[in-house]
Amino acid sequence: MITQLKSGNVYDPHNKIFNVKKDIFIEDGKIINKKDIKSKIDKVINCSDKIVMPGAIDLHTHIGGGKVNIARLMLEEFHNEIDPNYDSSSIIAPSTLKTGLKYIEMGYTTCFEPALLPINARQAHAEMSDIPFIDKGGYALLGNDDYFLSLLKNKSSQSTINDYVAFILKATQSIGIKVVNPGGINAFKFNQRALNVDEKSKYFNITPREIVEKLTKALYDLGVPHPLHVHCSNLGIPGNFFSTIETIKAANGLPIHLTHIQFQSYGNNGDRGFSSAAVEISNYLNKIDNLTCDVGQIMFGQTVTMSGDSMSQHRNHKHAHPKKWMCMDIECDAGCGVVPFKYQDKSFVNALQWAIGLEIFLLAEDPWKVFLTTDHPNGAPFTSYPHLIKLLMDKTFRNDILNQLPKGILEHTILHTLKREYTMDEISIMTRSAPAKILGLEKKGNFSNGSDADITVYNKNIKDIEEMFAHPSLVIKDGKIVVENGQIKEYIWGKTHTVKPEYDKSIEKDLSKFFDKYHTMKLDNYIISDDEMHRLVGSPIYVNNCSRKRKE
Amino acid sequence: MASQNDNKNLVCPFCSLHCDDVSVTTDNNQYKVNESNNVCAKKIDTYNLNNKSMLLPKKGAKVVSLSSALEDIRNIIKGHNETLIINHGVDLSGVRSMLNFASQKNYIIDHINSKFLYQNIGVVQRTGYMATSLTEAKNRADVVMVFGNQIFDKSPRLLEKVLGAKNSLYMKKKKELILIGDFSENIIKEIKKKCNVTNVKLDLDLTNDFLNATSLDSSEAVKGLKKSKLSNIKNIINKSKYLVAIWLASDFIKAKNPKKIISSISKYIVDRNILSRAACMPISGSLADATSSQALTWTTGFSSRIKHSEGTFKHDRNAFDSKHLIDNNNVDVVIHISTISPDKLKLNKNVKNIVLGHPNTTFTMAPDIFIPVGIPGIDYEGIMFRTDNVVSVALKSIRGIKLPTTQNILDKLA
Repeated sequence: MITQLKSGNVYDPHNKIFNVKKDIFIEDGKIINKKDIKSKIDKVINCSDKIVMPGAIDLHTHIGGGKVNIARLMLEEFHNEIDPNYDSSSIIAPSTLKTGLKYIEMGYTTCFEPALLPINARQAHAEMSDIPFIDKGGYALLGNDDYFLSLLKNKSSQSTINDYVAFILKATQSIGIKVVNPGGINAFKFNQRALNVDEKSKYFNITPREIVEKLTKALYDLGVPHPLHVHCSNLGIPGNFFSTIETIKAANGLPIHLTHIQFQSYGNNGDRGFSSAAVEISNYLNKIDNLTCDVGQIMFGQTVTMSGDSMSQHRNHKHAHPKKWMCMDIECDAGCGVVPFKYQDKSFVNALQWAIGLEIFLLAEDPWKVFLTTDHPNGAPFTSYPHLIKLLMDKTFRNDILNQLPKGILEHTILHTLKREYTMDEISIMTRSAPAKILGLEKKGNFSNGSDADITVYNKNIKDIEEMFAHPSLVIKDGKIVVENGQIKEYIWGKTHTVKPEYDKSIEKDLSKFFDKYHTMKLDNYIISDDEMHRLVGSPIYVNNCSRKRKE
Repeated sequence: MASQNDNKNLVCPFCSLHCDDVSVTTDNNQYKVNESNNVCAKKIDTYNLNNKSMLLPKKGAKVVSLSSALEDIRNIIKGHNETLIINHGVDLSGVRSMLNFASQKNYIIDHINSKFLYQNIGVVQRTGYMATSLTEAKNRADVVMVFGNQIFDKSPRLLEKVLGAKNSLYMKKKKELILIGDFSENIIKEIKKKCNVTNVKLDLDLTNDFLNATSLDSSEAVKGLKKSKLSNIKNIINKSKYLVAIWLASDFIKAKNPKKIISSISKYIVDRNILSRAACMPISGSLADATSSQALTWTTGFSSRIKHSEGTFKHDRNAFDSKHLIDNNNVDVVIHISTISPDKLKLNKNVKNIVLGHPNTTFTMAPDIFIPVGIPGIDYEGIMFRTDNVVSVALKSIRGIKLPTTQNILDKLA
């Protein structure tokens, strides 16, 4: 069956197409060039007053895994319509079904869970398999697991570390590697409460810098498209931009992705000891080719923070709202912390956090290097993306909100001086083609021949940009119309994106011994096979390419 | 199809530890645990088929075909008002199909152990909580406080695999176990082979008093506990660098206030983390409690006691309590799903009883319809969650009996 989207205003940044009147053709779930069409066109959809973009991609959203489920469990009153405290507007820790519905209604077709604990990978994938509509994937957490830290302590070769990283990607069916508070989560288990970039952990005698160096190199050597995804040391601490910059330097010029950089861009100047370092961070972002970031914008309102960073989450638990929280040490693998939180526009700190995130967006010169996220749900639920887009595209709207914030804020932010308004071209880059590129998703985020027919069609007659992005008139996933005029037309189930770089299998022998001796499960059971993903977990996998072969 | 004398590793579905290192032999559809010293061998053997096993569906006492049994179930449901599904233990595929089935027909779902689940999650839903998992406890815990007395019976290899494990990354000495409750001499004797033991025979309702008295600056006494023993316990606890508290919520069933016991332990652990490290590690029930609560939570937002209505799942901890529903005649059909344990199922004469169950299941009265289903991890592959809620295991199929799975049956009924 062939479908034609006729005469839409097409944005396809990967192919350098911006707002061009064009037809898009779909056959068997894929984009097809007009010249390759061999049969009659079955369906024509008039898009003459529409904006047509590839389906949006969220490269950092906490949608599956143990900590997400803890948040759902902890905040039962946010799901329960019978509960008197139920707030229907709040979906801070949505169920898998609601997650899929809300994402697809906004035209997002692919999403990535950024903190997939290897030992918890089976659960994370099972949860994500139950999210309808979207394709998904995860970044496996390394850098706090006792095995990896033992490799570093024992001065193992980079080649051995590469093999371990590649094994983890395969065993956990992941597409990337993330490090959270490098070494800090592990140090917390030894009762260390802080760990700076060049500070040695008490037990392993290893610095976060060494961890970042080894992991960035491993991913580069293995040819994994997505660079190391880094949640830096000292998250949320005033003055942390110094350690953020040191973490960037730890990559030694190799590709590195800093996540929710807003939380890592704080100075400690001024009478309150809290200030914006967005300019300093943006200068780095703009001058260094190897650095990309997502912002992790905060929005005012109730949310829940969830992180593998048990060290910082334990530190933050006294700010919990409502007053409940949980932290966990997990399987000599990682940790997690869940702390509900309400960002308040009357709070100086929260208001400045809001401004810092927007400063970073607006100071970033290259939309291919900065990604639109709220670190769902840490900064805000993903459902606030249309509002965020409006903040970026409409300076009057932005300044109106800024002017309602505590008066002192204007002395601590340059936001009111930034005249920039994002263009539709830039929004299409940062929400589609750029995340596809940095994740190595060759078939996503573009309208090239043979790419996945994941398409979002917006009504350009809607003047309010927030409303336009919140309610696309048509969403197509894998060639099927799943949303039309706000109505779900069909439930479909996506696939899981992975990479499988080569490695020397002998690493598994050593790992197997380690598991038998120190773990409480066998290595065989830890590994998730492709077949298990499909038959038991519930999601087929799609293996994306790596750019390099393993060196002997 | 498993062949004769085919040695396999069983990923054990029968308790919440879900050990994956149990070697078994399958022979003529019987499976036998190979390790003679394995404390679970005898227990696991009882799950083998015997001459009383029911391998065909039954309507009352009469054997019927599967298609006939399914048709009867459809007719029963059609002719009644409110259907309740009680989960007595099934793997993830069973829970998923249960949710799908309930969502299409607006049924209620409860797990038989929900009351214990709610005792444990209450601290997460009301206050702060610090938790840990089995491997962390094995490698880091120097002091373990064990509350209750059934833990070692319900989780037979907890001692061997975690608390008294031969190998540990960071513990070079035996762990100090403080047993609080009323432990049998035999259990204490076994534990002493692997750990240092301090036995505190205590009324568990005094847990809060006991914990308060163990702080260094406390001069409080605890009823029934000698000062010298208390002083010794204080010394052990206050030297601890990673203290773990474990309990089995069902052990508190006879206590006056089980919730208070768990809250007291949790608060104590949270407070210890101001200066040191400590964590809770409750042991969950053996009826795939964690599998049920995890899958229900991610699918609906609620861990148990849900009803599908008006296009969504709603939750009411009291109104959807299976005991309450049956006792008050608020349901007229109950579907029991019990694939792990063959233990006697309590059926109620005031409702129509449908059982999808283990072939060895026994009942307090004959169900209206019984369909034998496969045991996850024995008859078919599946996924189950371990007690610590962070590790899930891939169950294997080790014998060749062609029983339908719970998913097969529920998908046919949906």
